[in-house]
Amino acid sequence: MTQDPSEILIDCRDVWKVFGERAEDAIAAIRTHGAGKREVLRDFNCVVGVAEASFQIRKGEIFCIMGLSGSGKSTLVRLLNRLIEPSLGEISIRGRNISQMNRKDLRALRAHEIGMVFQSVALIPGRTVLDNAAFGLEVQGVARAERHRIALDALARVGLSDWANHLPKHLSGGMQQRVGLARAIASDPGIILMDEPFSALDPLIRRQLQDEFRQLTKSLGKSAVFITHDLDEAIRIGDRIAIMKDGMMIQIGTAEEIVLHPADAYVAEFVAGISRLHLVKAHSLMLPPGAYAGPVEKLARTAPEADVQALIDLVLAAPEQAVAIAEGETLLGVVTARTLLQGIRGEDADQKAQ
Amino acid sequence: MAWRDGIKAFDAAIDAGMVWISSHGNEAFALLRGLLEGGFGAILWLLAELPFWALAGMVGALGWRLLGARFGAFATASLALCAALGLWTETIETLALVLSATTMAVLIGGGIGVFAGLSPRLAQVLDPVLDLIQTLPPYLYLLPAIAFLGYGPATAILATFIVAVPPTVKLTALGISRTPVEFLELGAASGASGWQVFAKIRLPFALASIMAGVNQSLMMAFGMVVIAGIVGSGGLGQTIYASVRTLDIARSVDAAIAIVVLTIVLDRLSQTAARPQGQQKEIRT
Repeated sequence: MTQDPSEILIDCRDVWKVFGERAEDAIAAIRTHGAGKREVLRDFNCVVGVAEASFQIRKGEIFCIMGLSGSGKSTLVRLLNRLIEPSLGEISIRGRNISQMNRKDLRALRAHEIGMVFQSVALIPGRTVLDNAAFGLEVQGVARAERHRIALDALARVGLSDWANHLPKHLSGGMQQRVGLARAIASDPGIILMDEPFSALDPLIRRQLQDEFRQLTKSLGKSAVFITHDLDEAIRIGDRIAIMKDGMMIQIGTAEEIVLHPADAYVAEFVAGISRLHLVKAHSLMLPPGAYAGPVEKLARTAPEADVQALIDLVLAAPEQAVAIAEGETLLGVVTARTLLQGIRGEDADQKAQ
Repeated sequence: MAWRDGIKAFDAAIDAGMVWISSHGNEAFALLRGLLEGGFGAILWLLAELPFWALAGMVGALGWRLLGARFGAFATASLALCAALGLWTETIETLALVLSATTMAVLIGGGIGVFAGLSPRLAQVLDPVLDLIQTLPPYLYLLPAIAFLGYGPATAILATFIVAVPPTVKLTALGISRTPVEFLELGAASGASGWQVFAKIRLPFALASIMAGVNQSLMMAFGMVVIAGIVGSGGLGQTIYASVRTLDIARSVDAAIAIVVLTIVLDRLSQTAARPQGQQKEIRT
């Protein structure tokens, strides 16, 4: 896939973060003879937070990093705005290497280009909702009336303009996290870093916020790096998902790719419980048109992006118990009741052939 | 005997040292004395300009606003009682002593506390010193003060300052150092400068702790100004000291009552400011 390089907002190349007193020795060992995580812990008593992270995030993309606690995901997200200095490797934001920025440039980058939302929300208790939302602008030195106008606009986007003059403690957890989001978007950054923002919320509010967040981010054309320990959340929100384990990104891909082709047993175990109904699409299930015995022309047609849920409805309604997949006038394949059952089990056309 | 000679030599050395310090530092001590007495004089002048009922009314109004009508009435009645006991001049002298020593403690101690809160190493050095100040009997601080500054309110204020300063330093340092880490992260991630993080995040979070320190310093100062009556501080402390020497117990009890009600009023007023942010009246924009 070739992409216009100007569209790449975040570019991480072989980024490492090593914690420990002898981190420098450990890094030297990594550099010279490619020492791995285990050797680094054994020989230098250093912990590798992030290892060999290489990925790119494009404009408008929502990139989810999924991992359990201790997997290094929170460290990784803090490397992106240099709250943590990388030990090794290069991180570029819009083509500028952030490790080489001086303090002034770094402050400008954080103020204008990268917003951040925290799991703990971190609303300052003595400030009103409006003044919390305006915090980033206040730091930038935007005049009071102007920053209040912008912050009120951001609060309106998250549906909280009526609460502007309340104190944070009067708001529920979900509302507080909306304020956190409003604070991040008020500075109009191109990138929003979300550090497990919805983890502490109850499931209903959480799903609602996930949908709102995705909608808002897409409508504003922002890129987002979204950290979560919940694969369902990653699938719901992310355009692409990276699975992290022990500091390593063990797989990066779309939800469908990860569910259908888990890179290893660890990922496979994670995706085992994930419902395929909305995830698996017709194009990865369908058989070639020739494999269908009956007359293909008589079948109902649908697009290759149709998910399993939609296909089930179509197949149940069709007397032939099959549906043709077509892009415009071109016939691409056929999905039968049998292929659907296999799809729900988590196999695609390639695996069936084996 | 040898050890007696040793002690004599020790005493002689101290005397010589004191003579040397007072002869060489004379101008510095004169300046310090002038500053302390000047500040005290200014505050006393302000308080003395007002008739007692005006001051009582103002304190009552402040109490009413901060703590409600009942406390406001109590505060006014307390000050009126001080005047009724015939101790108004002494009362405002004591008030001026406490306010000047506490103001110094808050300005200097607060400044030191901020640096100690930001630098764990400075805090490590300061902690044993502050602990020592609080461990020793406060009476002791009158000795160096009177040696250098002589008999009078300047000595009383300096000794009171020494006794009053540790709580402000300690609680300011504690408040400043205990900023929740997620808020420091918020500051950094928002592109805030070091000064902005201090002013907009660290200080608001530390305020309740700082105010608790100020309240405690104020209370320490009240305790000390009574003791300082012995070095000619003026005010209620000196009244108590003088009455006790002449066995005028009734008058010393009057002065003690005045001290107690004055302490209660100022304690409650300064405690209100120390309440956590959530319990104060809502801030409106």
